Amino acid sequence: MSAADNPPPIVAEDLVRHFGSGDELVRAVDGVDLTVHPGEIFGFLGPNGAGKSTTVRMLTTLLRPTGGSARVAGFDVVRQADQVRRNIGVALQDAAIDPLMTGAELLRLQAVLYGLPRGEHRPKAGELLDRVGLTAAADRRVGTYSGGMRRRLDLALSLIHEPSVLFLDEPTTGLDPMSRIALWEEIRRLNDGGTTVLLTTQYLEEADQLADRVAIIDQGVIVRQGKPTELKNEVGSPTLFVAVDHDKLDAARHLLAEMGELRPTAEGRLGVGLGEGAGAVPSVVRRLDDAGIVVHHLELKEPSLDDVFAEATGYRLEGADT
Amino acid sequence: MTASVLATPEAAERRQSFVAQTAAMSQRAVLALWRQPAIVIPSLVFPLFFAALGASAFARAIELPGFPPVRSFLDFALAGTIVQGILFGSLTGATALATDIENGFFDRLLASPTSRLSILLGRLAGGMVYGAFQTAFFIAVLVPFGLVVEAGIVGIAVMLIGGVLTALAVGALMSAMAIRTGSSEAVQGSFPLLFILLFFSSAFFPRETMTGVYARFADLNPMSYLIEGFRDLTVDGLTASAVARTLLISAGLAVVTMAIALRSLRRKLRAR
Repeated sequence: MSAADNPPPIVAEDLVRHFGSGDELVRAVDGVDLTVHPGEIFGFLGPNGAGKSTTVRMLTTLLRPTGGSARVAGFDVVRQADQVRRNIGVALQDAAIDPLMTGAELLRLQAVLYGLPRGEHRPKAGELLDRVGLTAAADRRVGTYSGGMRRRLDLALSLIHEPSVLFLDEPTTGLDPMSRIALWEEIRRLNDGGTTVLLTTQYLEEADQLADRVAIIDQGVIVRQGKPTELKNEVGSPTLFVAVDHDKLDAARHLLAEMGELRPTAEGRLGVGLGEGAGAVPSVVRRLDDAGIVVHHLELKEPSLDDVFAEATGYRLEGADT
Repeated sequence: MTASVLATPEAAERRQSFVAQTAAMSQRAVLALWRQPAIVIPSLVFPLFFAALGASAFARAIELPGFPPVRSFLDFALAGTIVQGILFGSLTGATALATDIENGFFDRLLASPTSRLSILLGRLAGGMVYGAFQTAFFIAVLVPFGLVVEAGIVGIAVMLIGGVLTALAVGALMSAMAIRTGSSEAVQGSFPLLFILLFFSSAFFPRETMTGVYARFADLNPMSYLIEGFRDLTVDGLTASAVARTLLISAGLAVVTMAIALRSLRRKLRAR
């Protein structure tokens, strides 16, 4: 293992995946460069269809790249696919768990598939069930599990062989807030134990909370990459969000454009970057008031990953709270 | 693969895990059948229903000119019942394989270091276990109603092996379909084709009583000869030709359909 300890656990170079051909050609992933360092939680952020899952499927040997190369756990994902598979844990959002089997049975099956010694199957399954809080449901069929329980089982399944690199594809999509936070805690605990984690998400907060570094992918291309704090600092100034009467929207937009840089926001609202920070708020309000524009709502927000995303792509993610 | 490669400890370990993986996957396949009685029961009941219908409605058909000598229609019907049941049963396994592909469980397996071959073989082995069970079940249920297997215990053992091989042959063909289409609906939609194959064979009536195109088709249909192997074991007893037909035809079909299934699997894995 020592040889595999030194290189970065995940490296992708100019990774490309096209589907179809001719007029139908879809450039799902169009030249992705990625380096994930040992012990990192790396957040892969983007809207649906941005190329997150396609990239993960290539890194986990499920899809062959059209171009470029990638090494995971020190092995080439095409030429050494089997070694890659032995060293990674994978929990894919769209890979169902057999509803006819119980949680304990699935873990024991997984133990056989990953070649664990026979005597370890039961204890290991029990330990993992305990770890994700499914001991009481161990002998129930997965078909009776809630969404949160399935995700937790999925995580347990991906850990059966104690992989050094873990891929989690949208691990919390569709979960209620409580289950989401519980899963975050489990991912942090794993990471504290030294596991490198690459997780994809469409939730900015998730990336902000969990990830040491994030990459934002849009239309198959990585548009930003770095530590969340650095990326936020690059956007720089806080954003002032303003809601005014609909017929005054254009007038207000002109006014605000003079005060700072306009930023993308939800329909019917305006956003402006304030270079001087909170101190500039009174003068903005005064100018709007002088122009006879009634302000219905006013909110100052420090730069968030949402702003980084908006600045990089020109639009905001669905569900972003502005 | 050369002998020297096979001799390394790593290769031995790989072979051992291949066997363990295949066993675990076939266990899963059997478990799935056991836990879905609503899907499994038709493959046990319908063939018996046909046998019962035949035994009561066609009881005197055995007196028709050209009908080979047979003690009762039930003795004649057993072979068709077994093969029909196995056709039904293999559909269940192949549908499950297609469902695995549809819902992503297949991807879960592919992302693990599981031998690709054991994914297919495990599924087929599950079907083979079920094929043996069906053969035993049909014989056990029909004996109280007057069924006599002339070939005795040894003959029944031959039938069980023939049932296992038939389940492999049909299962592999249906699995190839499942792998190619990745659609459980397409697999289930192919059932009428299987049934036509069965209908244009000697499953329900002896070839001696057929005429015209129907007879010619039944003569060309390998299913006829397989069924007649089972039938001769029931009606005539333990003859070399009956044993050979039961085992060799099912084995031959299995070799051909396995080749098709393996090719489909290779293609699918290459096309990722």
